[in-house]
Amino acid sequence: MIALERELLAAHAARDLRALVTLYQQAASQANAPERAAFYLTHAHVFALETNHPDAAALRAQLVAQGRESALPAPNPPFR
Amino acid sequence: MAQHRTDLRNVRRPIEQANGLPNPHYIDPAVFAEERQAVLFDNWAGLAVTADVPAIGDAVPLSFLGMPLLIVRDRQGEVRVFQNTCRHRGMILVEEPRNIEGAIRCPYHSWCYATDGRLVSTPHVGGPGQNTHSGIDRALLGLVEIRSHIWMDVIFINVSGQAPAFADAHADLLARWAEFDQPLYHGGAESRFQIPVDCNWKLAVENYCESYHLPWVHPGLNSYSRLEDHYHIEEPGRYSGQGTLVYRQLKDEAGQSFPDFAGISDKWDTAAEYITVYPNVLMGVHRDHSFAIILVPESQAHTVEHVHIYYARPDTDPALRERNAKQWREVFDEDVFVVEGMQRGRHAPTFDGGRFSPAMDGPTHLFHDWVAAQIERHRSLPQAAE
Repeated sequence: MIALERELLAAHAARDLRALVTLYQQAASQANAPERAAFYLTHAHVFALETNHPDAAALRAQLVAQGRESALPAPNPPFR
Repeated sequence: MAQHRTDLRNVRRPIEQANGLPNPHYIDPAVFAEERQAVLFDNWAGLAVTADVPAIGDAVPLSFLGMPLLIVRDRQGEVRVFQNTCRHRGMILVEEPRNIEGAIRCPYHSWCYATDGRLVSTPHVGGPGQNTHSGIDRALLGLVEIRSHIWMDVIFINVSGQAPAFADAHADLLARWAEFDQPLYHGGAESRFQIPVDCNWKLAVENYCESYHLPWVHPGLNSYSRLEDHYHIEEPGRYSGQGTLVYRQLKDEAGQSFPDFAGISDKWDTAAEYITVYPNVLMGVHRDHSFAIILVPESQAHTVEHVHIYYARPDTDPALRERNAKQWREVFDEDVFVVEGMQRGRHAPTFDGGRFSPAMDGPTHLFHDWVAAQIERHRSLPQAAE
């Protein structure tokens, strides 16, 4: 976990958002408590949303299934 | 009876008896603030152009009349304008122009918004790892969108949200220039420039509306397009400007000119028109190019003119485009001393707004009359009483 934390800090410093998606998923999988896993999963999801990462939908689905997130709302038409 | 800073009765008289807007409308910050609401927020003001955000996800933050705004081309390709402010703690969301790959993430607590403004994530809002909370209704917390309309590539915004639809407010003008309602291609970097001017934004409109000054301020232009070749465009309460009957196309060394807009009528063989889309967009159309100048007021005495030139096709000759842009820039630069001089002149305490030429200043007077009408409307509202 210490090595992973180092990698996370490095990715934050480098603003490597796609790496953060992967690393936070790894952190979630290694977490020893569901709340901690959800915390990391949330971060993975946020950076996936920001980068339009292919894992975004699956990450959201996991959080929704755990009751920790809601489904995406439908797109909004422009205000004309 | 509410007391207001200026008396506009003389402005609204027939041109033979009218005076221009009084000095405070150019030099007084309090009147500038009043006009911000009455003239610019309550109508359809020009903000920018869609060429600023050509690709899906392109986002440009900018400040307009003190408001932090964000122009975005969303994932459906629609250009939209939002307040550039997170609904959580009011943090500025986007600091620099960039492409939004997915969502707009607030750099503070990472609330995320889709490019169409939906609030799509509120991480840890219900505690660590819990991203929803009964007190946070995301449907009510999307980015605040500013009402917008795109016409001839210009993004117009109605900040109050109360104006008639753009197509209704400008129906006459849209019909007048319907022939130019077709794809416009921005000329690129050299066809985009800014001219900062030390004057109130209205002086740039007033100068643009009339041809009276052309022989004196633009002698080069006047050498082929004489004063008598121009006509007034006067639509009271709607728009005004000027036209010429002798537009001459720019040609390169081989005699080639820009391609014409498709299907336009013979009228435009030699005609061109220059109209102010009230309040703050100066537009010009010619058979082979058009332009828009968006006047962005920075204070009562400072304005930036954002100039954009467009063509009928994307593949026009870059060298000829550069010459055209240079030519227009020279013309627009020739006007700077005039608008800045009028601004300084308005510090003369007994200047009465000026007397118009009844024959030559009609389009300018119409603009004054329209501005005065907007302010009177605003002052008639209960909350405008001071």
